[in-house]
Amino acid sequence: MGLLDAVSIPRRTMVLFFLVDTSGSMSGDKIGAVNEAIREVIPEINDISSENADAQIKIAVLDFSSGAHWIYDKPVEADQFVWNNLEVGGLTDMGVAYKMLNEKLSRTEFMSDITGSYAPAIFMMSDGAPTDDYKKELEELRKNKWFKVGIKVAVAIGNDANKEVLKEFTGNEECVLEAHTPEALKQMIRFASVTASQIGSKSSGVGIGGADDSSTKADDFTKQLKDFTAENIDPNDVQAGW
Amino acid sequence: MKEFKQNDKIELKVGGNITIKRKLGEGGQGIVYLVEMNGKQYALKWYTHVCTKDFYDNLDNNIKNGAPTDSFLWPQFLTVWKEKRFGYIMALRTEEYKDFSHFLLAKVRFASLSAMINAALQISNAFRELHRKGYSYQDLNDGNFFIHPTSGEVLICDNDNVAPYGKNLGIAGKCRYMAPEVVLGKTKPNADTDRFSLSVILFMLLFNNHPLEGKLIVAVPAMIESMERKFYGSNPVFIFDPKDNLNRPVIGIHTNAIRRWPIFPQFVKDAFIHAFGSEGIHEPQKRKPENEWQKLFVKLRDQTVKCSCGNETFINPDAADSSCLNCNKSLGKPLQLSIGRSKVILWPGQKTYSCHTKSASDHYREISGEIIQNKVNPSLWGMRNLSSDTWIATMPDNTQKNIKNNEVVPILKGVSVMFASGVKGEIVE
Repeated sequence: MGLLDAVSIPRRTMVLFFLVDTSGSMSGDKIGAVNEAIREVIPEINDISSENADAQIKIAVLDFSSGAHWIYDKPVEADQFVWNNLEVGGLTDMGVAYKMLNEKLSRTEFMSDITGSYAPAIFMMSDGAPTDDYKKELEELRKNKWFKVGIKVAVAIGNDANKEVLKEFTGNEECVLEAHTPEALKQMIRFASVTASQIGSKSSGVGIGGADDSSTKADDFTKQLKDFTAENIDPNDVQAGW
Repeated sequence: MKEFKQNDKIELKVGGNITIKRKLGEGGQGIVYLVEMNGKQYALKWYTHVCTKDFYDNLDNNIKNGAPTDSFLWPQFLTVWKEKRFGYIMALRTEEYKDFSHFLLAKVRFASLSAMINAALQISNAFRELHRKGYSYQDLNDGNFFIHPTSGEVLICDNDNVAPYGKNLGIAGKCRYMAPEVVLGKTKPNADTDRFSLSVILFMLLFNNHPLEGKLIVAVPAMIESMERKFYGSNPVFIFDPKDNLNRPVIGIHTNAIRRWPIFPQFVKDAFIHAFGSEGIHEPQKRKPENEWQKLFVKLRDQTVKCSCGNETFINPDAADSSCLNCNKSLGKPLQLSIGRSKVILWPGQKTYSCHTKSASDHYREISGEIIQNKVNPSLWGMRNLSSDTWIATMPDNTQKNIKNNEVVPILKGVSVMFASGVKGEIVE
């Protein structure tokens, strides 16, 4: 190897998780919009990752209906991630999803890259209410240190989605978006994924005030989400769509 | 607000319109578009988030004052406000200039040690000029620089956060690049904190690794904000700190640092040991000023020669022998030009600059002389006068010769040369 040849500077990994409700009620244009949006956002995530000297971004997808299952058995780099359309059918075992997420949010599981990780970003989307006993699993998940420090965002798809449950997941109401049309859903998926990736995969901002009142990445994300919501969410959509 | 589309028009503050051609890229702060105005192409940076009037006014002020040097891709014109946002246009950078992060990601590499040294010189000089004009950077990171891999020429972008000393725009940069006192919130960014950031960038340029990231960092599973404040703020440890080996680079991970640290001369290592040692970390006013970094890289350039294997290497002016770092060939102890505090290794292709041969000059780009080989007898070397001054060479037998522009001083031990205005150099072993 010549003097001027180099290997890449070692980078941490940021994992972007998608938790997708694939229960029966998601059929039709709801799952259509989700499939299209995630398929389209992956190349953008890859761009952010490939230009980023702080971190690489990997993606992990869990779909849940009756039971839950990981699309890949470990997080995959954005440029290697092949999206196959998710199919729908069954119930909404959110509790099982939380349990499986909790298991993988661990240094010995999905957060195991040797150069270390940044806090994950976790994006949950659902159109209904949990059909299993999810509270216990959520309580356990909320004790998980990776979960605590992660950026969390949720999209309530349509009127039947239980926003309270999603608020419990994100921990704050500003990070729960509501989508009532396929266009809105795609826009939200794109914005939230790209923004969470941009913020989550970089060294933290130092903040301006004292060390105590500098904002966290989650705060930065919440603020950007608020601005996005204020500018892009059309209240009339609620009547027009799901 | 939605992204612009091709052929959208945006009005400039000074009047006139620019036309969007296409999107060039996107970052956390804004989107960059290729635009056209009056037949000429520019880059438009458009902020995606709501902006403040302070920010707008600061940019306006910077535009009026102009760029500190040509290395800065400086804002030229502001747009009008649109939905509480705005943008500015600047010159386009050509594609040969590559993002510094591409060097870090090993997507591109320097063609030679000279190119790397030139980049380091230019970056140091750019910061010096910036500070001389009374500005400080405030948000230095790897996304700010574009570097030509062959020449080492540098273009500095993202000058939005340049502001006069003492003024802060609310942007403070990333932990990884900012001085510890900023990471800890003790002070707002200023020229002293810029100097710390500069030393981080220079280290990463030479060693393709972060100076504070070794074993300790790898042991942190989740690099959350509190951990960043510790390792870049309250408890930073240099990976090559001679007194503390807790944060040494890890084999298999920090490969570049491990390979490259031994290559550089001790005076370069000492500069970084100081920058990331107790004084550099805790005493902002003792950080190396930019012109000292400039002198350091001029000195390194003075010791860089091209071996017959085609690659460049460093010659130690004090060693009895130096070997090529690439092919191991022995290069002996070449003659040197001792001039002021400098020792310029005399080797074909080596150059002298105004900073050597003119008194009180720090012009490191203006070439004043070049070492050449006699075409008929390659073992005879000479120094060609490329300046407009006439030199006076004194031979070992005390005869004197005028050396005008394009004429050559023979390189022999004991020859001395009087350059302009009393600067004298001597050829020594």
